[in-house]
Amino acid sequence: MRRIVITGAGAICALGHDVPTIWKGMTEGRTGIGPVQRIEPGLLRNGGIAAEVRDYDPSSYFDSARLPLLDLVSQYALVAAGEAIRQSGIGFEGERAARTAIVIGTGAGGETTRDEQYERLYREGANRLHPLGIVRMMTNAPASHVSMMHGITGPAFSVSSACASANHAFAQAVMMIRSGLVDTALAGGSEACITLGSMRAWEAMRVLAPDTCRPFSSGRRGIVLGEGAGMYVLETLELAQQRGATILAEVAGCGMSSDAGDIAAPSELGAAAAISTALRDAGMLPAEVDYINAHGTGTMANDSTETRAIHRGFGEHARALAISSTKPMHGHALGAAGALELVAVLGALRDGVVPPTLGYLGPDPACDLDYVPNQARVMPVRAGLSNSFAFGGLNAVVALRRAP
Amino acid sequence: MSTQQETFDIIAKQAKIDIATIKPESTLKDLGVASLDAIEVIFDLEEHFGVNLPNEDTNFESDTVGHLVDAIDRQLALKSSTQTPSDG
Repeated sequence: MRRIVITGAGAICALGHDVPTIWKGMTEGRTGIGPVQRIEPGLLRNGGIAAEVRDYDPSSYFDSARLPLLDLVSQYALVAAGEAIRQSGIGFEGERAARTAIVIGTGAGGETTRDEQYERLYREGANRLHPLGIVRMMTNAPASHVSMMHGITGPAFSVSSACASANHAFAQAVMMIRSGLVDTALAGGSEACITLGSMRAWEAMRVLAPDTCRPFSSGRRGIVLGEGAGMYVLETLELAQQRGATILAEVAGCGMSSDAGDIAAPSELGAAAAISTALRDAGMLPAEVDYINAHGTGTMANDSTETRAIHRGFGEHARALAISSTKPMHGHALGAAGALELVAVLGALRDGVVPPTLGYLGPDPACDLDYVPNQARVMPVRAGLSNSFAFGGLNAVVALRRAP
Repeated sequence: MSTQQETFDIIAKQAKIDIATIKPESTLKDLGVASLDAIEVIFDLEEHFGVNLPNEDTNFESDTVGHLVDAIDRQLALKSSTQTPSDG
């Protein structure tokens, strides 16, 4: 089987606009959560907090000809993809263009455009909508723009599985490289879901925390939405070595499963199946794993269910794992969640630092593992998992190993 | 009808259970109303009474139906006390 490595990483989220800044924020235990700035105060019912991308000026990334085509979700994907491609040093000339895939996960797609256009239609009674509405809001727009910007002509598409979208996207890219269909892929996720319509819809589900996100902690009260993108350059180990590229980590395997249960309530069995499948796919023994970046949303249901799933997937080794959720820092970025969280796994593997679970007040008997509360931990990490479990019962887990 | 009767009526309809099985001391979870179904019941109650129920008052795993009725009454009282005379 072809071995696959990561040679470039790019990201943008509430912690910063590039991977070095975000990783530094994670190790310092900074939070990007605060009062929502782009929605008028008073229009939100429950706390009105989110992890927004701050101090972001699109015109410093995109010229005035391209910008009108780009919903925020595509902008974030392009910013992250650009950083990843620069770091990997890869070019897409000649045959490489057609031998490269693009797979981008997104839960909601062009939510900002949708919100703006429907506000014009329903509230303002506008008699015409913007002609670029469709091309901005379509869910595949981020993949299309990455292809156009970088001249990549291989298979490109989006993957949508709510909060597991990025990890599912990652898995699709891995499968395409393994099968020999392509040698290289840009994979990750992007989400820009902090709009009035989307926030109100999440509020109605009664899962938004009014204070902050406290995964696995006593007194946790729910999720805090985030946004941004993470994109990665994946290629065969052989190609990376030929190019003399710096290898950030090896993608050891992926595991996917479906609960076939409830549309919202998570299932321990489904999550455990994805974990076990990822370990098996990676040819990894549970005891080789030192770190799990948990889905850890901060809801009562997810965190206890995920804890039981980790027990089930790891047996006795569960208690030896360092587990953290970085969502109190970058929020829950839905379709971009796994992609942002891979920054944490890559950093842990490379720097031997596990980012903490912020907002931890004290143990909950239903969450009885080591969640690296509040303070980063210096420790060697040989292999790490990134868990994503979506509404709808769709689960995807990615397993990384230190660079060979 | 009292708040309690109206509340029980809505729960019975949503949960498709006999209204006689609902006691003030039962939780929604006891009545087999969990997850999204419970969120829907709370939505129906909010729509019916024209109130907003804070998340703190809607823990359907541990709070009793009686607690829910009290929370609705509190919100109704709040609503009528903040109503200006011109609202009638």
